[in-house]
Amino acid sequence: MENLVYIALFAPLAGSLFAALFGMSKKNIITGIVTSTLIFISFVASAILFSHVMTVGPVHVRMMDWIMAGDMLIPFGFLVDQISVTMMTVVTLVSTVVHIYSNGYMDHDKSFNRFFSYLSAFVFSMMVLVMSDNFLGLFIGWEGVGVCSWLLIGFWYHKEDVSREVNPSISPSWAANEAFIMNRIADLGMLVGIFILYWNVGSLQYDVVFAALPNLSDGILVAAAVALFIGAMGKSAQFPLHTWLTDAMEGPTPVSALIHAATMVTAGVFLVIRANPLYSMEAVHWVSYFIAALGTFVAVFAASMALVNRDLKRIIAFSTLSQLGYMFAAAGLGAYWIALFHLAAHAFFKALLFLGAGNVMHAMDGELDIFKMGGLKKVMRWTYLYMGVASLALSGIGIAGIGFAGYFSKDAIIEVAFNEHTYVLWTILVLTAGLTAFYSFRQVFLTFHGNERYHALGIHPHEMYGYVLVALSPLAILAVVAGFYKDWFEHFVTKLLPEYHMSEHTHHIAWILGLLVIAFAVGGIVLAYIKYNRGLKRNEKLERSFVYRLLSNQYYIPIFYEKTISKPYAALSRFSWGTVDQKVVDATVDGIGKFIKTTGDTTRKIQTGNLSDYLRWMAGGALLLVAIAFVAFKLSQGAH
Amino acid sequence: MDGILTILLFFPLLAGLLGFVVNKDSIRAYGIAVASIEFLLSLWLWMSFDVTHAGFQFVENIPLVSDFGISYYVGVDGISLFIIIMATLMTLIGIIALNIKKDIKNLIITLLFLEVAMVGVFISLDAILFYLFWEFSLVPMLYIIGAWGGERRLYAAIKFFLYTFTGSLIMLVGMLYVAYVYHSVSGSWSFAITDWYALILPLDVEKWLFWAFFLGFAIKVPMFPFHTWLPYAHGQAPTVGSVILAAVLLKMGTYGFIRFSLPMFPDASVLYITPVAILAIIMIIYTAMVAYAQEDMKQTIAYSSVSHMGVIIIGTFAMNAEGITGSVFLMLSHGIVSGALFLLVGSIYDRRHTKLMSEFGGLASVMPKYAVIYGIMLMASVGLPLTIGFVGEYLSLAGFYKISPIMTVLAGTSIILGAVYMLNLYKRSFFGPVTHEANATLNDLDGKELAALVPLVLIVVWLGVYPKPVLVPIDNSVKALTSFMHEKAQTRVAKATIVVSKKNKEMK
Amino acid sequence: MIGLGHYLILSGILFSIGLVGVLRRKNLLMLFFATEIMLNAVNIAFAAISNHYHDMAGQMFAFFVIAVAASEVAVGLGLLVILYKKYGTLDLDAYTVMRG
Repeated sequence: MENLVYIALFAPLAGSLFAALFGMSKKNIITGIVTSTLIFISFVASAILFSHVMTVGPVHVRMMDWIMAGDMLIPFGFLVDQISVTMMTVVTLVSTVVHIYSNGYMDHDKSFNRFFSYLSAFVFSMMVLVMSDNFLGLFIGWEGVGVCSWLLIGFWYHKEDVSREVNPSISPSWAANEAFIMNRIADLGMLVGIFILYWNVGSLQYDVVFAALPNLSDGILVAAAVALFIGAMGKSAQFPLHTWLTDAMEGPTPVSALIHAATMVTAGVFLVIRANPLYSMEAVHWVSYFIAALGTFVAVFAASMALVNRDLKRIIAFSTLSQLGYMFAAAGLGAYWIALFHLAAHAFFKALLFLGAGNVMHAMDGELDIFKMGGLKKVMRWTYLYMGVASLALSGIGIAGIGFAGYFSKDAIIEVAFNEHTYVLWTILVLTAGLTAFYSFRQVFLTFHGNERYHALGIHPHEMYGYVLVALSPLAILAVVAGFYKDWFEHFVTKLLPEYHMSEHTHHIAWILGLLVIAFAVGGIVLAYIKYNRGLKRNEKLERSFVYRLLSNQYYIPIFYEKTISKPYAALSRFSWGTVDQKVVDATVDGIGKFIKTTGDTTRKIQTGNLSDYLRWMAGGALLLVAIAFVAFKLSQGAH
Repeated sequence: MDGILTILLFFPLLAGLLGFVVNKDSIRAYGIAVASIEFLLSLWLWMSFDVTHAGFQFVENIPLVSDFGISYYVGVDGISLFIIIMATLMTLIGIIALNIKKDIKNLIITLLFLEVAMVGVFISLDAILFYLFWEFSLVPMLYIIGAWGGERRLYAAIKFFLYTFTGSLIMLVGMLYVAYVYHSVSGSWSFAITDWYALILPLDVEKWLFWAFFLGFAIKVPMFPFHTWLPYAHGQAPTVGSVILAAVLLKMGTYGFIRFSLPMFPDASVLYITPVAILAIIMIIYTAMVAYAQEDMKQTIAYSSVSHMGVIIIGTFAMNAEGITGSVFLMLSHGIVSGALFLLVGSIYDRRHTKLMSEFGGLASVMPKYAVIYGIMLMASVGLPLTIGFVGEYLSLAGFYKISPIMTVLAGTSIILGAVYMLNLYKRSFFGPVTHEANATLNDLDGKELAALVPLVLIVVWLGVYPKPVLVPIDNSVKALTSFMHEKAQTRVAKATIVVSKKNKEMK
Repeated sequence: MIGLGHYLILSGILFSIGLVGVLRRKNLLMLFFATEIMLNAVNIAFAAISNHYHDMAGQMFAFFVIAVAASEVAVGLGLLVILYKKYGTLDLDAYTVMRG
């Protein structure tokens, strides 16, 4: 089994290095094939490990020592247990699909090889993140995915900056930097969390840390929980560190599917699930509650922004943000396995949604404005089907135990909120389910139904390559059927994660709650159908209204950040350099130098060259010395 | 092997003197050969180094002025060993990458003399010897900046010389006072620092001496507010000068803290943790901001050096094995990474004769190899895990967390602010469309430049993934240092602060 | 009775005369004379104190001073002659070669 662990982990790295060899040369289809195959091998290894974990139990390997200093000993150790193997399987499965998809999508890109190198490197980092057996190992993957995300968002680095006012789009390199820096802010929190654990436990191994938790004082537990969650907030783009996620849509679409929907952004949720012994401690219950509340807030907050957005990918990005909120709500309320289940189900249908959007974008020559699309279902039948299925799954459609993946996972989360008597959260989550259905189908209808507005642009859309569509089918199937494995999954992961039981009361009225949620979801779809099925009828008055502008400008938060953080920071930097450094610090140093020089210049005049002047100075000096000696003599006599 | 340190010290000196008679055309090859041999000698030193032994090794002690206890007393331990290897490596890399035609013979001979001074500083165990090499190192650098520098080279060179010289003189006074105290206590003169370690000074004397040494070291590091000579020196120095200056000469300051201040004045060091840490934090945050405001690529990297040196100081004053080991490791990684970054800036300067970021843009499209290596070094500089930059930064901050969580968070902003200015630099220079005609036809890195940079890339990755061979010897010596400080500390506060590592790695 | 004090006062007066001469006179020859007066003032002090303490060292020193003064005058006058030949004057203010 040990070899399988290494194969699962290092196959993507091998692929990445292989592709990197050709990184600067012309497109070579071999790199695409080799990397895809290696990722598939990694997936197979993960799947075998999955069955191994299910039948035998976790695998723990220790490769070698990494950092040793003082009492700190950090190994490269890898732990394949129920949580990590679930993540591994999901990550490698989605990655395989995305790799195959990218072969088609990046077909015409001149940096084809470089793309696959980055993409596989990302998968490797993600595997390190989920497989590590200690917090610092997780941090390696954590930063690794950050860098790969930076590389991939900024993949089309040659594009120029476009200002915000004209177009919500900015440049890829700008978005890449934003994502990296915002994540770094959160990473500092994570690092502090690691320090807290290290100095109070003496180790960073998960098992040691979790075993030592009951001996720690409440304050330390709270500090560690908060610090680690700050790290999670950055990676999972929770408010107020969320703006980078939508801007990250500047990257190529497969990247958005893989990183910004299925894998990297769920790392924060993964961290909370992984550290569940910490977050289940009695002392930190309010931190957990805060996580749930923040998650709920982000769920509705992001959904509201998705309502009015016109950019196909950004709508999906907002929806990702919203679903991440759901996951945090579940994790915060203690239903870790449900959070993990939603994470997996979400990965399938959200990746499918993104890749479908990629198909549309490919067909539309890179156009992303859904107001300029419409009627695409005639030319893109399969894509329409896939995106429809994914949207149904996202909306959580289903009834009486039969339904799409999202129905099982999201419903369970809403039920948990009810069960915990957090009715405010429950109400908001139910409401958000309605919003989710509305914006998903607004997008579907505007894209695929109604009048064909793209003619005005002179575009001739076409369906994606056949093999790409075939490659997408596993995701589509999983988006439909994943939900049926809920009980089986529960049984599997609750060997490690705490079980979660609904109270008797909740159990009884569960079907009513379920119906309510479905009612909201169906209501949302129907509303979207009524409004957008026939085509786009723009309502100028509505678009000028305050609320609409507030939502479409993302609550003015990006502008707010720009005005209150970026610009003042730049101004303060220039002040520090121009005024403080040059005019104060350096001027003081030069001032001392100048003072000495001026003193020399002034006193130089004594040196007249005239002997009689010198004699006078000498006599004066001698007299002065005699006087000083005399005074000193008198003083010393006086002292005795 | 006895005498290896003497060979290491005098080989470049003799080779440098011989260099005067070498033909001008073959001097480059000669320089590379000498520097390679010296580098191999330092590797040999590592091979023969006993990693389980924490104290000084290869010790040689020959009295020079026995009436005053001055002797040729040299030795290395885990702390100095790798700095010496790095010094010889960076000299070699600097000579390989040399792209100067003017007076190349003098330049190479100067570099070899500079190498003597650098090795001398790090192997000296006699304060006078240390001081001699410390001051001697200024002269070749003064010459390099003054003779091969940019437009304002004389101003920069003289500022560099006078500023650091002033600090060292105060340090010399401190050294003489320690010797005087030693004389009055033991009745004989000695400048051997191992003898000085045994000296238990009264606390108020420790305080004064701490600040005397502090000034000497702080100006060299350079710590805020004594840092303003550095941007001028870097701005005007030729590439090779900047490489050596950033990689090795700055480390002399932080090395001095570990070799002198901590073991000799443990109580004062503990007492002044807070003021020193505050200076270091100002240095980290403030210079990171200043770096962000720069228009000149080289200036950004120069200020980023200052910012990173702040983290080294933080680690040193953590007073525990994690922090000090981290800071020593960070000295190595900063040396490699900033050296490489200066080389990279030098490459583009050779092509375009400007270092202004606004003159570039879109370089990634024209010079992909250059962009890749620059990217790797940039990531190492911002402390990405699995690159050399992370290990030291992480350990330094982790160590200091034990002293003060709040100050660690403030110092930790270096990982954010570092990313801000570095990514800004990268975006402005490498990303976006190619806006200047002159940039469209630039050549990518040539063989010579790759020969200099690729080894550094390999080291950056190797020591990032597997730092153990370097960390263990450092850690052993640092543990010996902390337990020694603990024993020597007189006040309970100091004893409590100096966390001694209880577990010993060899026991396992 | 003439005591030690009288001698020392005489010595002091002579020294002051010499000092004023050194400061006020502009002619180098006159400076030499003034210096000689100062030296002899010191000689008087030496001899007197030597007598007072019955210690011959002081008188010995006075002889030394006389001998040194004589050789100094010999060399100094030689230099003055050369200076006079070169500049045509012995006026102090005329020499400002060392002006800084």
